[in-house]
Amino acid sequence: MHALLAVASSFTGPRLDYHALAPEIILTATLVLVLLADLVLEERNQWLISNLAGIGVLASVIPIITLAVQNHAARSMAGGAYVVDDFSLVLKALFLGIGYVVLLMSTNYVEEGDYYQGEYYFLLLASLLGMVVMASARDLITIFVALETLSIPAYMLAGWRKRDLKSNEAAIKYYLLGVLASAVMLYGMSLVFGYTGSTVLTEIGKQVNGSITHKPVITLGIFFIVIGFAFKVSAVPFHFWAPDTYEGSPTPVTAFLSVASKTAGFVALLELIYVGFLGRNDVWGPMFWVLAALTMTVGNLIALRQTNVVRLLAYSSIAQAGYVLVPFAVAGDNIAARRSSFTAAVVYLMIYAAMNLGAFSVVIAVARKTRSGDISSYGGLFEYAPGLTVAMTVFLFALAGIPPAGGWFAKLMVFRAVLDSGTTWAVVLGVIAGVNSVIALYYYAAVAREMWMSPVPDGDVTPVRVPAPLLASLGLTGLVVMAIGVYPQLFAHFGDLGTLVR
Amino acid sequence: MIAQQIAFGILAATMVLASLRLVTTKNVVHAGLLLAVVLGGAAGIFVLLAAEYVAVVQILVYIGAVVVILLFGTMLTRARIGEDTDLDNDQRWLAAIVALFMLGVTGTVLWQGFRHAGGDGKVHLNGVQRAAQVSDLIFGPYGIPFEVASVLLLAALVGAVAIARRD
Amino acid sequence: MYLVEYLLLAAALFSIGVYGVLARKNGVLVLMSIELMLNAVNINLIAFGAFRGNAIGQVFALFVIAVAAAEVGVGMAIVLLIFRNRASVNLDEVDLMRG
Repeated sequence: MHALLAVASSFTGPRLDYHALAPEIILTATLVLVLLADLVLEERNQWLISNLAGIGVLASVIPIITLAVQNHAARSMAGGAYVVDDFSLVLKALFLGIGYVVLLMSTNYVEEGDYYQGEYYFLLLASLLGMVVMASARDLITIFVALETLSIPAYMLAGWRKRDLKSNEAAIKYYLLGVLASAVMLYGMSLVFGYTGSTVLTEIGKQVNGSITHKPVITLGIFFIVIGFAFKVSAVPFHFWAPDTYEGSPTPVTAFLSVASKTAGFVALLELIYVGFLGRNDVWGPMFWVLAALTMTVGNLIALRQTNVVRLLAYSSIAQAGYVLVPFAVAGDNIAARRSSFTAAVVYLMIYAAMNLGAFSVVIAVARKTRSGDISSYGGLFEYAPGLTVAMTVFLFALAGIPPAGGWFAKLMVFRAVLDSGTTWAVVLGVIAGVNSVIALYYYAAVAREMWMSPVPDGDVTPVRVPAPLLASLGLTGLVVMAIGVYPQLFAHFGDLGTLVR
Repeated sequence: MIAQQIAFGILAATMVLASLRLVTTKNVVHAGLLLAVVLGGAAGIFVLLAAEYVAVVQILVYIGAVVVILLFGTMLTRARIGEDTDLDNDQRWLAAIVALFMLGVTGTVLWQGFRHAGGDGKVHLNGVQRAAQVSDLIFGPYGIPFEVASVLLLAALVGAVAIARRD
Repeated sequence: MYLVEYLLLAAALFSIGVYGVLARKNGVLVLMSIELMLNAVNINLIAFGAFRGNAIGQVFALFVIAVAAAEVGVGMAIVLLIFRNRASVNLDEVDLMRG
């Protein structure tokens, strides 16, 4: 007994900075409350749950604001394994913003579709928690646990339309590929841990840049880790699950997967590459180059022949991931490229989130009337839903990169990173990206033409009724897209995003 | 040391043979039982490496829960317990080439990288602490992922019930 | 007890798992192959942890085991869901891995 006590007293608990952890704590409390509310509330009061979830997500933003205005140095916990700095605050706010918009998109969809409501919001919040944790994770174990926390609820959400075979298939494909990706990633992590003896990224970074440069074991470890994340961000040739999963999932979940889940994958890559493996750009530089070139080209070419708008957006989101991979490919070339690549990737992710969520909001709104995802069902949309048509046009132009809608600024940042690098390979990649932007214009414009020019397919011109939450999500995303497009200096106010860049 | 070397040889041979059979067998239930053999072998490996606590968890969680769930799932969803011819797809040769290539590359890299690691390339178990140190780490520096993992398990539980229940 | 013996065993299990993932089309068998790969990861982690003389490898392995158990539970729930809707026992009809 005394021996036991002696052992117990020698243990000191971790020093936790509760202010820095407040967003996570509020989010966890909210998801527990949602689960309890689902238990207590009667069937007809279930709509309260989505409001509760929304309030919880907004409440989690409050500590992020108080942390941001404090202008505190980076708060580091657990020996540098969990860091709250400007980068993670901005990303946390982005994830919570995405989460809130997805909640707005889901409210009527889930209520009218006869799905389990409480569990749906619970899983959405759990996945969101994983993402918020990911933004602060600077340690292999924390990154792994965050990745699984955001993925496992998403596997089940993909299959939430339980009686629909397509949704079932979406779930099983996403699940098996996701588990495979984590196994591959973990093997790489085990090698990196084995060679460095540490899981904390700063420690790994010191060793990778110092004594153990150019060791084949580290090369192999980085290779497996990048391949694992290539699955997660659906980079070609590891993309084949994405179109089926996106088409089969409930549409708000598709929006969540294609925006939030993908962003989380990129955030993890930013942390791993910039903090852990910066010295080994001879390994990841060429890998990202190939992935970026393939992802942009294949995504756009297949998008050209899609007839279903959700599938089109799925391939378009694959292609958009390709543009985000471009800065990764050129990041290792020199200091200037390293800085501008980091900013380009983060800015691209933020703008992409707004424009893609907006496009999906329109798809959900239109599908309320047409019950279809075919592009041909968008014929003559302008005649009976001019507001939605204008909104969709803005989002499509943003995705294509045409000013004044926000997307052009994201693409500009990517090209600036390419120019900062200036190597032949980087310029070639820039040219590939440019050609792809032109190809993409074609299919985005095809949808716009259908809406503005074509006749209404069945002559039914009753207006589309857009419920208030969906209207709010359209308004929010539209506002952000236009604000960034007209006044891109907005990003200068977000503080120094490049806190990870050394 | 000799005894440990022999034990490792037996365990490793069993595990490799069982896993080879696992990926080629025509019977799903046999595959589940072979998986239990491989996982049990891994528990033995953990004991050899003085990680008794992980070995116990491996047996309890992996063999006790994972394999049982897999077998239950198989039996609930498959009428036929016996042989089945239609389990493999037609890219078996390609798969074999990929796997062998990967084994070759990783094997070479690991052999060169760790043959002389730490001087003699041996694992010295005297530095390894036992379960107490593991718990100090989990509840100390790794406390945040530990708490997040509890949300993960709750989400998996709630979601799995919602997905699998009849409505 | 040479470290590299354990690593080669893990590499062999991982490669066999990769073969299984690529060659099988039954979902449950694919999942079992992935479990083989995860097990290779655990052997790596424990061996490296013992070699380094710290317990981080064991901690990492415990996290992997816990998460893998959750994953398998979720996976079997999804398999059960598909089985119920297809009224067929043949999982292979979900044309896995073919985009």
